[in-house]
Amino acid sequence: MTATAMDRSPAPLLAYDAKPDPISALLMLLGAAGAGLGLAFVFYALLVDGHAAFNTSSDMAWGSPIAFYLFFLLTSSGLSIVASLDTVFGLRVFHPVAKRCVWMSIVALVAGFSVLALEIGRPFRMLWALPVGMQFHSPMWWMGVFYSLDLALLCAKFWLMHTRRWHAPGTHGLSVLSFVISILAPGTLGLVFGMMAMRPAWYSPIMPMYFILTGFVGALAFVLFFTAVLPNQRRKPNEALFDVLLPRLFFVSLLAVIGMRFGQIVTTLWSNYEGMEAHWLSLDSALFKIEILVGLALPALLTATNGMRANRALVMLAGFAYLIGNFFGRLELLINGQKVPLFKGYWAGYVDYWPSLTEWMLVPAGIGIYLFLYGAGEWLLRLAEAEPRQGRTS
Amino acid sequence: MTRWGMVIDLEKCTGCQACTTACQMENARLPGEMWQDVLFYSEGEYPSGKLSWLPRPCMHCENPSCVAVCPTRATYKTEDGVVLIDWERCIGCKYCMIACPYGVRFYAEEKQKTQPDIRKVFPAKGDKVWDPPYKMPEHMQNPKWGVGIQPKNVVSKCTFCYHRVSQAPKGTVDLNPDDPKLRPYTPACVVTCAPSARYFGDLDNPSSEVRQLIATKRGTRLLDQTGNRPQVYYLAGEAPAIPETRSVRSGRKA
Ligand code: SF4
Ligand code: SF4
Repeated sequence: MTATAMDRSPAPLLAYDAKPDPISALLMLLGAAGAGLGLAFVFYALLVDGHAAFNTSSDMAWGSPIAFYLFFLLTSSGLSIVASLDTVFGLRVFHPVAKRCVWMSIVALVAGFSVLALEIGRPFRMLWALPVGMQFHSPMWWMGVFYSLDLALLCAKFWLMHTRRWHAPGTHGLSVLSFVISILAPGTLGLVFGMMAMRPAWYSPIMPMYFILTGFVGALAFVLFFTAVLPNQRRKPNEALFDVLLPRLFFVSLLAVIGMRFGQIVTTLWSNYEGMEAHWLSLDSALFKIEILVGLALPALLTATNGMRANRALVMLAGFAYLIGNFFGRLELLINGQKVPLFKGYWAGYVDYWPSLTEWMLVPAGIGIYLFLYGAGEWLLRLAEAEPRQGRTS
Repeated sequence: MTRWGMVIDLEKCTGCQACTTACQMENARLPGEMWQDVLFYSEGEYPSGKLSWLPRPCMHCENPSCVAVCPTRATYKTEDGVVLIDWERCIGCKYCMIACPYGVRFYAEEKQKTQPDIRKVFPAKGDKVWDPPYKMPEHMQNPKWGVGIQPKNVVSKCTFCYHRVSQAPKGTVDLNPDDPKLRPYTPACVVTCAPSARYFGDLDNPSSEVRQLIATKRGTRLLDQTGNRPQVYYLAGEAPAIPETRSVRSGRKA
């Protein structure tokens, strides 16, 4: 530890003595209720019916839990990237949200992993079968490697920030490594789908970039949403960031997502290739409409002008709308790749799928875990803390 | 080394589904869990409609995409060319079901299409999916090969009846069910096929019947563009196409 870091060390690890502010208390309460209800329901259903409590089938092998888990994992990587704007690229203006973003990123990973554990057939077997398997050909194996590293590095990074060693030797290196992994992890998740040539509706070299970008915008939406509820005195010192820069970055990145998605839609609808008709079929689905209208068009309209972007309520709503659309868009993507069954004959028809109640209960479970841990962090972990300026060596 | 493969003669196949039934019985599969299935295709309308069909086991691909995606190596290829699932290693991630172009893999933990739910009629003790009254003897079951009554939350598929085939005398070239000595080692679907539309043997041996048929009767692999290189070949005879190669999408209104 450097001398400068030691000079300002005596901060309690957990702010037990402080009472949680009303917002943190509310988040924790909502989180505990959601997680309690969701998890109790899902555990009970799994106990009684096993995974038959899900509406997934041999034809629709991956359903809403995977979509939900994508939502959390990709947003988590996005949050890590937002934090890196300061910690890796030195864009000091993002410094006030850096620590908060790292915590949000960790919490989103935990929520995502929890949903995955409830979806996967034998989650505990993963712990030994993945390292023993060493299947380098499998993007899913790499995903396991990168996300494990991601969690470890984020925790280490948060620990260093929390113990006020922003500039201890190795901190910058660790931040760079964590940033690289937060690109590789969602990128590999993109490959899990994008490499599948036998699933033409997914097959695309763009998928990793699409996942990284949509996760980044999701992260900005999370930050906008959760900082909008901060009490005024905490927002005040960083108004330029909260009211100008973040909303603007959100808008610009959203335009990039819209452009990318538009390109995807046009290409997939144009193609006659077997399996691509899933995209035609999805045009009529509620999921597609929510994704496009609620998730892309609405937030773009709500943040289209400087004046609108300065309106906290509008920006918060825009972030929320994007997250809703993003969630349903991920579900739509999941379904599109499996809608046209592989090799089942004419008589099989298209695969019908809509999540079961147990699957929907993963939503309060996952979000509950997220809210509870985020609220607890807000209360106990000094998330708004920034590095003292005089301590900077560069 | 032997590399087992199958040839299915579509000119002989009557689409009777006896192979499907034999497989279900041999391997104690659940209703709808068709390790072996016959797929049906209809084209056109009365009076010029046409019905065709295609028996479909696992293709036991030379380059199996299911093996490549399996993060735990639970799915693997044996030295004698058969693709198997180690049920004691599978984590039920279902990636293999996504990656198999031939749709031959199954996950038992789903809502049953037929009622009553047969798993509840014959419930199993412990970790097994069910306990049917008919099943192969205990000593023939092998979870490392994905053979027998399966545990919960793992993926399953056709094993080329590995519990039979792997016991064939060394050096066997053709597993011809007409030979009473070889019948116990021949896959159940091959044994049961009434018009003898199925042939099973060593693809690496130029004198095997399967090799001869592939060479002389234009043996065709399905979805060859995937690069999976199935070890199941089809003989279409004079037919203009194997039904699967016809597009299933309807004409779009201009
Ligand atoms: S047909 Fe499918 S399951 Fe069978 S070996 Fe090929 S890819 Fe694997
Ligand atoms: S479900 Fe099992 S066999 Fe299939 S890819 Fe996952 S671990 Fe491998």
